[in-house]
Amino acid sequence: MHFDFSLLTTELSMFILGLATFVLGLVVPSRSRRGIGAFALFGLLAVLGLTVLNWDQQGVLLNGMYLVDRYAMFFKILCLSTAILVIFGSLRYVNEHLGNHFEYYSTIVFATLGMMVIASAGDFISLYLGIELMTISFIILVAFRSQDGKSLEAGIKYLLQAGLSSAVILYGFSLIYAATGTIVILEVAHATLQGQASPLLIAGMVMLVAGLGFKVSAVPFHMWSPDVYEGAPTPVTAFLAVGSKAVSFAALLRLFVAGLAGVHQQWDILVAVLAALSMIIGNLVAIPQTNIKRLLAYSSIAQAGYLLVGLVTASPAGIKAVMFYSFLYVFATVGAFTVVAVVYNKIKSDEIADYAGLVQRAPLAAAVMLICLLSMAGIPPLAGFVGKFYLFSTVVSGYLWLVYLGLIMSMISVYYYLRVVLVMFRDDPKDPAPIEMGSAANITLIITMVATIFLGIYPNPLSEVANSAAISFFLK
Amino acid sequence: MSDWVGVALFLVVGLVFGAGGLLTSFLIHPRSKNKYKLETYECGLPTEGPSWIRFKTQYFTYALMFVIFDVEVIYLYPWAVSFENLGFAGLVKMFIFIFILVLGLWYAWKEGALEWK
Repeated sequence: MHFDFSLLTTELSMFILGLATFVLGLVVPSRSRRGIGAFALFGLLAVLGLTVLNWDQQGVLLNGMYLVDRYAMFFKILCLSTAILVIFGSLRYVNEHLGNHFEYYSTIVFATLGMMVIASAGDFISLYLGIELMTISFIILVAFRSQDGKSLEAGIKYLLQAGLSSAVILYGFSLIYAATGTIVILEVAHATLQGQASPLLIAGMVMLVAGLGFKVSAVPFHMWSPDVYEGAPTPVTAFLAVGSKAVSFAALLRLFVAGLAGVHQQWDILVAVLAALSMIIGNLVAIPQTNIKRLLAYSSIAQAGYLLVGLVTASPAGIKAVMFYSFLYVFATVGAFTVVAVVYNKIKSDEIADYAGLVQRAPLAAAVMLICLLSMAGIPPLAGFVGKFYLFSTVVSGYLWLVYLGLIMSMISVYYYLRVVLVMFRDDPKDPAPIEMGSAANITLIITMVATIFLGIYPNPLSEVANSAAISFFLK
Repeated sequence: MSDWVGVALFLVVGLVFGAGGLLTSFLIHPRSKNKYKLETYECGLPTEGPSWIRFKTQYFTYALMFVIFDVEVIYLYPWAVSFENLGFAGLVKMFIFIFILVLGLWYAWKEGALEWK
């Protein structure tokens, strides 16, 4: 059988980049390792360019094991952009808090490669491989501050969570295989569309919801995320909150909307309830938080709830809404966490109270935080509003209660987001010394801010791209 | 259904065989009690000093390195058996595989995992 390697261009170049970063780190003496971050950064930019050029590439490898389509390309571009923004934002943080570790960069590259494999995975094996590559890389990254007890605790918690969720996902895969006799997602789709929903299939489906629920930190599988987000190095938290969550949604869409389309009647209410619970608990528990990273962790649980809403109807509009929202979620979240990282560099604290008067000390950081938080809350001129509009308009007919709940919870979220803004803008700083941020972090901050504003005012280009990608999803 | 009779029979015979041996030995074995009978036997020795001591975690990294190259052999054997069928492409693929593993060894070496301090 002919194996078309050109379909794997982006993955192979990513793999080579990861190895090259690693080898370079081994051969370069430790004092001149600073350049490795820049090397990884330019490599990622090159791979991103390559992926954009390959946008129209389509194909299926190994009888459906690996799918290359616009849907996969969209999520690959998303992961690569996230990795690039995270590295830009963290060059200084890494040097100051993690030491000259080249492993950091090569592990980020491999985690991104895992995400790309998930986005393209066409059967259970390749999907599982991608999930494991991503998760194991993240375990390393989360525990990277090995001198810090909290980081190690976070690493152990993430390890346990990862093991548990992998086991549950695998069990789900095996049950679905038992029910349908195939592991290729498109063949599972044929089997479920024809036959009756057997109890075995339903059990497997519930397992998959639970396993991937851990990955996207949907309530009630969210317990790990505040602790891990708080303990992990801040750039890693941003990467975890965005990249890992977005591709887990890519996998959820592929598995449920494509694979288990025949049993949609059985899973839509399950997903709707998870979405509702995540929105309620994420937003309500965020209110009393005093640590900014924990606040953002609970807010990201609530965001997972919003994203799950797009899954409920299993329609092209829903898929498009999830893709659109996850892309602008990249900018808002990476922006917010980069501010947290640069502020931590100076004041060594993640407490919201210590953000007092940030607007006087670092006007750009305060502005970015404001824009990102308001976008997450869904205030109209910003991107988050458009994203939420797309998400909730898919469920207006049929799940109206979900729309009302989403609206109420968005209003509640405005309260705790604005509380941070209030501290930054109203209170006087304890120490008026300005916070310098470094030019690389500034790039991330400016890109995220401009993108969040631009996508809110003029969402059409991204919306069209997401639309064409969502259509490619159904052309099988 | 008749297939399952065999399984059931197997189960019953297995139980009788296991329990029968234990029971027979319990009934007929000579009973003599002394302290030597309570000692560790077959695998292991009596401990010297307290057993709740700290030992070097470096054992762990050694074990990890060992397992990696132990597992590598599992892949090398079937590859070697069907080497002629796989041809040149097979050789290249195995070299890539071993290169990745060696990279790990190189890293561990550089980080000082192989030095016993």
